[in-house]
Amino acid sequence: MGTRERRERSDASDRELVELFRGALAITGVQEKEIALAAVGGFGRGELSPGSDLDILFLHFGLDETTLSAFIKAMLNPLWSVGRQIDYSVRTRAETKAVSRGDIKVIMGLLDIRHIAGNVYLTETVSTQAQKQWRRKFRSYLPMIAESIEQRSESFGELAFLLEPDLKEARGGLRDINTIRALAKSEFVPISLDRLAASEALFAQVRDVLHSVTAKPRDQLLLTEQDAVAAKMEFADADALMLEISRAARTVDYVMQLSWFEIERRLHRISLRRSKRVPLAKGLFRYRNEIGVEIGYHIADDPGIGLRAAALAAQRGVRISLESIERIADEFALLPTPWPRQSREDLVAFIGAGEAMIPIFDSLDQEDLISRWIPEWSHLRFLPQRNVLHHHTVDRHMLETAVRAAALTREVHRPDLLLVGALLHDIGKGYQGKDHSDYGAELIHPLAKRLGFSENDAIMLTKMVEHHLLLPTVATRRDIDDPQTIEYVKSLVDSAELLELLHALSIADGEATGRTAWSDWKAGLVENLVERTLAAMKGVTPAPQPELTPSQLAKVSDGSLSLEIFDLGDVLNLEIVAPDRVGLLSAITAVFAVTRLDVRSAKTRTVDGIAVMNWLVNVDINLPTPSREGLLELIERALVSTEDLHIRIEERIRSYRRRPGILVPPPVVTAITQIVTDATIVEVRMHDRPALLHTVATAISEFGVDIRGAIVSTLGAEAFDTLYVTDLSGAALGQDQARELAEQLEIILSAQD
Amino acid sequence: MKLITAIIKPFKLDDVKNALNAFGITGMTVSEAMGFGRTRGHTEVYRGAEYTIDLIPKIRLEVVVDSADADKVIDVIVKAASTGAIGDGKVWSVPVDHIVRVRTGERGVDAI
Repeated sequence: MGTRERRERSDASDRELVELFRGALAITGVQEKEIALAAVGGFGRGELSPGSDLDILFLHFGLDETTLSAFIKAMLNPLWSVGRQIDYSVRTRAETKAVSRGDIKVIMGLLDIRHIAGNVYLTETVSTQAQKQWRRKFRSYLPMIAESIEQRSESFGELAFLLEPDLKEARGGLRDINTIRALAKSEFVPISLDRLAASEALFAQVRDVLHSVTAKPRDQLLLTEQDAVAAKMEFADADALMLEISRAARTVDYVMQLSWFEIERRLHRISLRRSKRVPLAKGLFRYRNEIGVEIGYHIADDPGIGLRAAALAAQRGVRISLESIERIADEFALLPTPWPRQSREDLVAFIGAGEAMIPIFDSLDQEDLISRWIPEWSHLRFLPQRNVLHHHTVDRHMLETAVRAAALTREVHRPDLLLVGALLHDIGKGYQGKDHSDYGAELIHPLAKRLGFSENDAIMLTKMVEHHLLLPTVATRRDIDDPQTIEYVKSLVDSAELLELLHALSIADGEATGRTAWSDWKAGLVENLVERTLAAMKGVTPAPQPELTPSQLAKVSDGSLSLEIFDLGDVLNLEIVAPDRVGLLSAITAVFAVTRLDVRSAKTRTVDGIAVMNWLVNVDINLPTPSREGLLELIERALVSTEDLHIRIEERIRSYRRRPGILVPPPVVTAITQIVTDATIVEVRMHDRPALLHTVATAISEFGVDIRGAIVSTLGAEAFDTLYVTDLSGAALGQDQARELAEQLEIILSAQD
Repeated sequence: MKLITAIIKPFKLDDVKNALNAFGITGMTVSEAMGFGRTRGHTEVYRGAEYTIDLIPKIRLEVVVDSADADKVIDVIVKAASTGAIGDGKVWSVPVDHIVRVRTGERGVDAI
């Protein structure tokens, strides 16, 4: 079954229609010169699948309604009576022109118009008119085309990643091929259609076989039919067929992206020259809504640039320019093993961006960059899974899981492990005879070490992958009223930190799989199991206040303000010693905020009225590295008053908020009152942004309490700060006061976010 | 013919399925359900932590059988679903007038 059959089928329909047309002329007395019959759409191109509708258009010179309706009835009744599906319209030339101006479907159908019977002049003029209109008004059609592509993609998903795809409507399918063909006809930009031929032939053939197997005109390739279709097309099995379809769809999608890229480039050619390139990070700039690599930048000397670009683009909700992705791939440099801290954080920030990550991930994957960073990925690309619960191929399912996990980052103490675990939880799938959880656990440990995670974190990730199905399985299959069940879970999940990670991963995995896999019913059972297990555990142990080293203790005895700076390559390490007072952390962080030192992590501790602070900060590439003397002077001034700094910080936060961004979960502030120490522990979890720590420190100071110590960590784009606060007499806060502080802080941070 | 409906604890589904299979029943409809009986609104204490539970997750299992087998099938389900604890569920049966197998059009006991 192939193009020839489709053409023959189309020719046979033509002959039949010509006969009926003549019959209708004879019955109604309409003159042949007054009316024309034409084929549009796929039928217009002379191709007809077994189950396709006949897409036809009657053109006339203003015949009255009664005559027209009699003519159409006379002509189509014989077809209707045998159940043929006919999609017909009736128009004059003027009506056609008017309708096609505002209806993208109509104008695109007309581009393929073909005369069948009647007045050939009518058809020809409509055809010429349509072609002309398409070329002339192409710019005004563009938003409509974009919208229709977007709408289809939303309702039908992406062909390459679906287990039961619609061959016609899904993104990368037959409808998109037609759209690309129409784009090419505009002659607005050159588009090569050669790359589409193989994909189109495959889809059309699969569709024909599908129609003949099911005896229905349906274009969705369901799991139950894939075996039969694969066998008929002489594929080894259904998986081989689906893999081929995925590849073909990706090609179509890629040509579509390239076409839009060219179109947009041409549209903006003039304005582009005027728009500014804003330097963003080393080697990268923002250019309208894209991130690009600087011209002449030595990519080969900077292996981290790809992930840096990905993180920046994803967190801002913009794309990386296709040219830059190609350049990064062409001049690819391997990251050292283990990865540097910054690259690992970039990966976390990238996958933690939610929906915005997917198109960037796809374009990087298209140039094989993902597999070069994570070689295990190449096995998972388009990997089908024959499972009634799943909708997506393995790779897309894991991306979807990461998207869901990004919304759950406030639920855990280690958002970075949650995100990486979500992205890779099914890494062991597709190896014959191996349990995917067990084998995944084998694969993830060395991978985590390569990514630069510590041994403890690698073990945590290993357990996440190994037990990612544990909670839903136990919750639905075992008696959770039985203490032995809880003991069993505890024996595998040995810490509350791991339990909360597994819980979040179960939710993300379930939601990404689909409604049948994750219902409120199941979520309730899992939550119940988690609560019971947690109750049987000690709970999460908050980090103890940092210990001071002997050299730091020596500085405490000195007691005066001092600052040392160590350059660690990609970050600066600052050690500050200062007499403690309310508002100290607020003043120091104000200085960081105005000098654009971006805090990555910090440990501070107050001993005998002296605060010792150790900071890791990133330097803004657009500014020179600040000098020790300059910083000290600023700190001294800030300790007197931070008023003038506040104005600049406010301005910076305002400009950050104006920037395009992505949706992130709201901040969560928790006061831990169950654990009695000499200070109250306050945990702040939120999306990182400029001057975040300053806002937190200022709010706490204004509440009238003292910050005795802090552990600050930035995990990708998520900040997790643990603060140890006391009242002014140096005692831990009462329960009510602690709760009130947490509530106020959460309100302040939410308002600013 | 009778329609037997069983509300059971979720983790007992495999046991009940196996027991019914052993009895010769291979087809059934299973759905997720929420509800409560006499355990309504009870507070559970588990290792010092309290849980108030309003709607409890259950499995609803339905099977149509020949009237002659109904009592035996109910016994099989009850036996397999029992833990002896509160909240084990309920099983009931109602008469069925008609049953048709959609694919073949068979009717009555043949269609079970």
